[in-house]
Amino acid sequence: MPETPVFTPVETMSYTQAVTELENILRTMQSDKCDIDLLACYTRRATELLESCRSRLTATDAELREILASLGV
Amino acid sequence: MEQRETLTLQQLQQRINRLITCDATRDVWVTAELSDVAVRGGHCYMELLQKDQDGAVTLAKARGIIWSSALKGISAKFHAVTGRPLATGLKVMVRVTATYHPVYGFSLQITDIDPAYTMGDLLRRRAEIINRLRSEGILEQNRSLEWTAVPQRIAVISAPGAAGYGDFVNQLLNNPHKLRFAVKLFPAVMQGDRTPSTVIAALEAIAMDSEEWDCVVIIRGGGATSDLASFEDYDLAAAVAMYPLPVVIGIGHERDITVLDYVANMRVKTPTAAAEWLVGRGESALSTLRDLGNAIALGSSEKIAGAMHRLAYFEGLLPVLPMQTLERRKAQLLTVTSQLGAVAGRIGPHMARLDAMAASLLTATATITDRRRARLDALEQIASALSPAATLARGYSITRVDGHAVTRAESLSRGQTVTTILADGSFTSTVN
Repeated sequence: MPETPVFTPVETMSYTQAVTELENILRTMQSDKCDIDLLACYTRRATELLESCRSRLTATDAELREILASLGV
Repeated sequence: MEQRETLTLQQLQQRINRLITCDATRDVWVTAELSDVAVRGGHCYMELLQKDQDGAVTLAKARGIIWSSALKGISAKFHAVTGRPLATGLKVMVRVTATYHPVYGFSLQITDIDPAYTMGDLLRRRAEIINRLRSEGILEQNRSLEWTAVPQRIAVISAPGAAGYGDFVNQLLNNPHKLRFAVKLFPAVMQGDRTPSTVIAALEAIAMDSEEWDCVVIIRGGGATSDLASFEDYDLAAAVAMYPLPVVIGIGHERDITVLDYVANMRVKTPTAAAEWLVGRGESALSTLRDLGNAIALGSSEKIAGAMHRLAYFEGLLPVLPMQTLERRKAQLLTVTSQLGAVAGRIGPHMARLDAMAASLLTATATITDRRRARLDALEQIASALSPAATLARGYSITRVDGHAVTRAESLSRGQTVTTILADGSFTSTVN
């Protein structure tokens, strides 16, 4: 069995770092180097990164209302 | 009391009026700088100024009026060319007629304007500022700043309560993708003389926490086009040019370019457009994420499909593979055997050549030996012809005394015994 890769905790990463890692995962998957045993591991990591990035970009309705209220517009 | 001519004030002013209003002061084109422009009761009032070279000392000053009957036409004409209304700080060329009013005093009635003069002056002033920024090497500084991946923390410089700011915030936060933005207003005066200093102060306030912000957006209210001349300011332009965060400018409309549009990282026409641009960056980031997610999902399932396919292939091979392997090995053996035969064939000529070489070696040796032997025989014949035995056989003899050959008669003495050697023997005799 190949060794399971160790990933940086997503919350300590910048948005750019997270997107760069996503691109690397994609590149690995498109290459022959990708081990089938690690596929699930990579996919899980990619999902985690995607979720983190998306939640950084978008806000919930409650948050938006709060922001609008604080601006008094 | 001496009888003297006395006038009423009105009479005096009528005289003054006659002196002032003459052909020399009627419909004269004059250049001046505008100040304190205000519209009251449909009429436009202003001060016309002439300053010295440095703009520090006022050399001349007069009240100017555009009556409401002329205002609309003059304003439209001016705006069509310059893209801005009459405002403080602008240099104008106007046609005036001097008037004198008993109550309101001296003023210049403006009846026409040449907007090209103002435009030329504005462009020249702007060009001066741009050239200075270029020579100082800071013109492109803000424009070449790198943006953060997705700008979400927006510091806004605008007039508090201005419609433009509200438009901006609404457009920004009511975006369909619910992109998250943090916005804070840093208030400044966006019109008139205090514009540069208050905008610069706001920029400085944001710079104190520049880590907190991704960019600065400078916007002002929509509505009527208003005075942009106050933005044509070197200090403000330099502050924007050297600003450490990217600056987005949305203070003008289509044609209302100011010097700030040349130095800011990003120029948009309206506050709404500024928000749209920021939302657009977020949307493109979201779409990049979506594409990455899809590509990774696709890559993953393709990997699995590929692996399954390979497994199926091996499964199909399993029943036939052993026989195929045997056959292949057999064929390989045959090949090797035939290759060995070919190797033997290649050795034959080499062996023949070796044999030939051995034979010629023997011949060469014999020849050399024979030649040497013949030479030895010849030498032997010469040697035997020269040997003492041969000489003796021809009748010569050797005489010896005490084993030494006698070669001179005087070396002999009487009574000595000598030995004479002949070819077949020897004898002794005594010397007499």
